[in-house]
Amino acid sequence: MNASAISLPHGDDGHSHGHDDGHHDGHGHHGPVLQYQPGLPLTRGKLIMWLFLSTEIMFFAALLGSYVVLRFGAPVWPKPHHVHLSEPIGAFNTFVLICSSVTIVLALESARANKAGLAKLWMLLTLLLGTLFLGVKGYEYQAKFSHGIFPQAPRSRIYEKPDLYYGSAVRARLGEPAIMDKLKELDDTPADKLTAEQVSARARLQQIRKMVASPEQQAFDLAVVADQVMPLPTEGPGGSHAGGGGEGGGHGGHASGLNDIFPWLKLPAVIPGGNMWASTYFLLTGFHAIHVMVGLIVFAILLGYKLGPKDAGKIENAGLYWHFVDLVWIFLFPLLYLF
Amino acid sequence: MSTATASTLSHGTATSLPPARKPRPVAEFLSTYVFSKDHKVIGLQFLFSTLLWFLIGGLLALAVRWQIAWPWSDVPVLGKLFAQQGGQMAPEFYTMLFTMHATVMIFLVIIPILAGAFGNFLIPLMIGADDMAFPTLNMLSYWFMWPAFLLFGASFFVEGGAASGGWTSYPPLSTNVNSAPGSGWGQTLWLLGLTMVGVSSMLGSVNYMTTIILMRAPGMTMFRLPMTIWAMFITAVLQAFALPVLTAAGFMQLTDRMIGTGFFTPEGNVVNNSLASTGGGQPLLWQHLFWFYSHPAVYIMILPAMGMVSDILTTFARKPLFGYRPMVYSIAGIAGLGFIVWGHHMFMSGMNPALGITFMVSTMMIALPSAVKTFNWLGTVWGGRIQFTTSMLFALSFVSMFIIGGLSGIFMAATPVDIFIHDTYFIVAHFHYVLFAGTAMGVWAAIYFWFPKMFGRTMNEFWGKVHFFLTFIFLNGTFFTMHILGAVGFPRRLADAYHYETFHHLQPLNAFLTWCAIGMVASQIIFAANFFWSMFFGPIAGRNPWNSNTLEWSAPSPPGHGNFDFQPVVYRGPYEYSVPGVEKDHLMQTDPPNAVAAAAVAAAH
Amino acid sequence: MGSRLGGIFWSLIFLAVPVLGVATFAIAPSYNIWLPKNVSEHGSSIDGLFYFILALTGVVFIATEGLLFWFIWKYDAAKAKGPATYIHGSHTLEVVWTIIPAATLLFLAIYQMNTWADVKMRRPAMAPTVEVVARQFEWRLRYPGRDGMLGTRDDLFLTNDLHLPVDEDVLIQLKSMDVLHSFFLPNFRIKQDAVPGMKIPVWFKAKETGQFDIVCAELCGWGHYKMKGRVTIESRADFDRWLEETYARQEATQPAPEDTVAAAAD
Ligand code: HEA
Ligand code: HEA
Ligand code: CUA
Ligand SMILES: [Cu+2]
Repeated sequence: MNASAISLPHGDDGHSHGHDDGHHDGHGHHGPVLQYQPGLPLTRGKLIMWLFLSTEIMFFAALLGSYVVLRFGAPVWPKPHHVHLSEPIGAFNTFVLICSSVTIVLALESARANKAGLAKLWMLLTLLLGTLFLGVKGYEYQAKFSHGIFPQAPRSRIYEKPDLYYGSAVRARLGEPAIMDKLKELDDTPADKLTAEQVSARARLQQIRKMVASPEQQAFDLAVVADQVMPLPTEGPGGSHAGGGGEGGGHGGHASGLNDIFPWLKLPAVIPGGNMWASTYFLLTGFHAIHVMVGLIVFAILLGYKLGPKDAGKIENAGLYWHFVDLVWIFLFPLLYLF
Repeated sequence: MSTATASTLSHGTATSLPPARKPRPVAEFLSTYVFSKDHKVIGLQFLFSTLLWFLIGGLLALAVRWQIAWPWSDVPVLGKLFAQQGGQMAPEFYTMLFTMHATVMIFLVIIPILAGAFGNFLIPLMIGADDMAFPTLNMLSYWFMWPAFLLFGASFFVEGGAASGGWTSYPPLSTNVNSAPGSGWGQTLWLLGLTMVGVSSMLGSVNYMTTIILMRAPGMTMFRLPMTIWAMFITAVLQAFALPVLTAAGFMQLTDRMIGTGFFTPEGNVVNNSLASTGGGQPLLWQHLFWFYSHPAVYIMILPAMGMVSDILTTFARKPLFGYRPMVYSIAGIAGLGFIVWGHHMFMSGMNPALGITFMVSTMMIALPSAVKTFNWLGTVWGGRIQFTTSMLFALSFVSMFIIGGLSGIFMAATPVDIFIHDTYFIVAHFHYVLFAGTAMGVWAAIYFWFPKMFGRTMNEFWGKVHFFLTFIFLNGTFFTMHILGAVGFPRRLADAYHYETFHHLQPLNAFLTWCAIGMVASQIIFAANFFWSMFFGPIAGRNPWNSNTLEWSAPSPPGHGNFDFQPVVYRGPYEYSVPGVEKDHLMQTDPPNAVAAAAVAAAH
Repeated sequence: MGSRLGGIFWSLIFLAVPVLGVATFAIAPSYNIWLPKNVSEHGSSIDGLFYFILALTGVVFIATEGLLFWFIWKYDAAKAKGPATYIHGSHTLEVVWTIIPAATLLFLAIYQMNTWADVKMRRPAMAPTVEVVARQFEWRLRYPGRDGMLGTRDDLFLTNDLHLPVDEDVLIQLKSMDVLHSFFLPNFRIKQDAVPGMKIPVWFKAKETGQFDIVCAELCGWGHYKMKGRVTIESRADFDRWLEETYARQEATQPAPEDTVAAAAD
């Protein structure tokens, strides 16, 4: 560290960029415009973006870490099909997001090549793909909600086990005036107005109504009730479920459940581990979705620019962020849908 | 003390005075002093806000002390403000007091005063930049503190009162609304406030890192940075990597409370005779996430002070810093190891005891870089020519007090001993030594030291020393005795422990502590008076009143917008004091190359 | 102001730190402000470790604070002649003062492991002597009764009044119903958080008979300060007699309290 050994860095030798993007207006300087020691070969905007993303990585690392801890600490964890997760839909969404990562790169390329119009087009496409992703996500959320899976305890219709609490919840639902009317209507419908499936389901429904109302009911009875309301598909040996599952019915074991045959019924259902699953699922995908929305807002704002070479830096930063959002999903998809 | 007066100026001849005050339109006033993007103004905004909260935190501490010394007796003055039952404190109110005391002190005082006030004020000045890399972001990082101020402040007035789960906010106490009176809105506001502090720190830290990496003056290589900047830099790294984890955990606790997820609530949890509506979660998960942040956070709360103290010690010992590189590496070492020791807060938590062993070993190891720092400070003072300014006294006391706080850490790091002293006043003694006797003393050293640069005037030295003397005496009276309270096993967070046979004889000692604490807070009146008086009437300081070496002292006092009235160019490290053969006893980083000095430096290596 | 007097005064202030610090620790025991009497077998090794660390850190404390005082005294600008020593550091010293503490701390880390394992890891192979269930704001106790098994009809239920035999290993099964608590027996050097959803074993061997405090050491709500229990250590004969009598009294007064059974159920 010989103090006199360094040569005086010349202010004009080009490697110290004083005022590039992101810097304030520079009015009202009392002193000279300052020169800086070369640091990293990055613009300020890009450096701060990388640093910001590293904080984001830690944020999602904490969420994912918690997920892993909670999942492996839980005595039971539902299979994707128990909670109406569909791999094909998830895979499709993954594909959508990857495409959008490509289009944003294309937007950047076009902007650099001074093809502002093309850049706008790619940007618009990215925006649309992102919106599509959110749309699909919303559809998936809707499917969860309609099966009574909420991240929220009092409103969720998911029970951990067919116990007394479960029994009284079913009884309470069956006792609601609106449902009683519906049930009466169903009972009064002549058999020829119903499909064969509905007829047999009606008989099963009448049976469980008796079971939950019976004072001598046994724990075993409630297990039967739960199985009638929403049977959980059993996995084949090896646990493979590559056959794909269904959103909203038509596949797996759900189709025969009373809740599926009579969608208005909305009886409480039993999914072991379902509540914690819902908590983590909505937490992870929710925070991811918020990040997607932020990205979409950024794209919308960028569309207001000319998107020529001068704006390339902005597109690049937005793209970095978008790749990160994409990357998070690449982790989420297998963790939530496949394992 | 001749150093207090203006001395030779390195650059320019006239001392720059604060800009003349002429009547200005409101808009301009707002943009200059309120919504300013100038790092110096933002730094001062942080300073004033945090000092105000410091006072509030101190008063809360007094209320805490009052209850411990004279349980269930009427609280003077404060009792009328807060406590509901005619001046006597309710037990749940006591839990709110220490929770909010710690919250205020940690999240609204120490962290923002170090990174926010001094980080902001000093970073651009000490590296030779005209401002932060992103001034608007910088302004936002201050304004994100305001929601936090308001949320924490408001939490005292909501139904059920402020958060009362301790600053550690362990669930299920903090998540289950049935478990505590203050677990209503107070806790929710607390979590929201914490999130705001988190956003503020995150915005600040990425900005600081960018600034330090890209905006150093020509010639200012990384290994010519003053320790203050190194410390700020590594603190920013710690914040950027540790804080998001707390933010995530905070959100999880928030959803547990607000919409009934069950991340931290075990299955079948019955609180206050009612079954929790959720379950399946793990209470210990919160502790892991919380300490993953909050252990590094304790270093966030001391590293900047260590950096500033290093600079102040060298200036007033007129001596180069002993072991510059080891000092840098040890900061980095503390930061790195800081990420793998969080479990030492959880030795008794029910965590696997085998895991406790690994945390114990890493905790022992983190004492090493601290040891290196301590010895190098001693080495810096050794052979110096010590000038007893107020700032120096505070800096020296930082070293002296940090040793005490650090050594008590060794007791707790030893897992079997921690069985006995965990959650006793031994811990309270430990962290007040590092946080108050350490960091706060460092902050005072820094205030007295950089005050001339902030306001162009020096603080009164005589009253400064009186302030130091009283604070030093009272602080040791308050906190040193806590060690022996802890040795009896006197538990923390207890509103009244004297009904236990083991502790009933400790009341007189606690009364003594409380008197010392009252004295300590009262002594701060001297400081406040000195501070505000000197702002307007103190002796005018030149650019470099302490004959110090770093870049900020070559700028005008206070520096104008853009900081430097010349292009700073750096020729040497920051600690060239008493270079043999050079007629001045200090060579500023910007002083032109000097052949004699070069020879001396070469010879010294 | 720059007079020698100032330097002397301030140096002495810094000298007061180690002097009064050591004095505080030296005097405290004579006012009974010191480690409470230890009555458990493993407690003496914890205390031994405490004293060992106290001695170790005491030496470091006196040495570093002493040096600080000495340097401040000696290198006062008003007294010392000539300029400050121009030195940037010393590799040798850096190595020395890294290695010595490293070795010391490593030694300490290894030295203490055995005690830790004794208290927290080497659980005696036996059935629980008693189950302690913490709840806001009391300690609920359940003894297995004659059949030696928890969860059967002859369980004995109590609150806050723990009895244990002397000179025998005892195993406590610690649980919590609601929030975190911590089972703290100052005289036994025992502390363990009670976590809802977990069953945590705690064991020790009492050396002496007598009555001692049970303290809750983890914040558990507004009543945390009053969550107090007592533990009575008595001879095996007394303990058995007490068990019999208390059981008889329980049978005479009421059937097993409903909510306690529910609470204690796994
Ligand atoms: C600025 C803040 C700060 C700092 C710097 C430290 C530094 C250290 N802390 Fe501290 N700590 C806190 C703030 C801090 N702590 C807080 C706030 C809590 C309580 C939180 C709560 O529960 O509310 C806490 C709690 C805490 C615990 C948990 C106790 C419990 O709850 O049971 C432990 C346990 O290991 C611990 C250890 C240490 C150690 C080993 C260091 C080391 O870094 C110290 C190293 C320094 C030295 C050792 C001194 C100098 C060295 C020498 C002179 C060399 C020679 C020394 C030897 C050979 C021994 N701390
Ligand atoms: C930085 C952190 C910090 C600081 C500075 C302090 C400062 C003080 N603390 Fe605090 N304390 C904590 C952090 C801190 N504390 C934490 C983390 C806890 C644990 C809480 C928990 O268990 O959850 C705690 C708990 C705690 C307890 C234990 C309560 C219990 O467990 O029951 C006690 C008891 O004595 C206490 C006392 C004090 C006292 C007397 C001070 C005094 O030093 C205060 C002195 C205050 C001043 C000196 C104010 C000075 C004012 C100014 C300088 C303003 C001047 C104004 C202008 C210029 C505008 N504190
Ligand atoms: Cu139970 Cu504190
Ligand atoms: Cu720690």
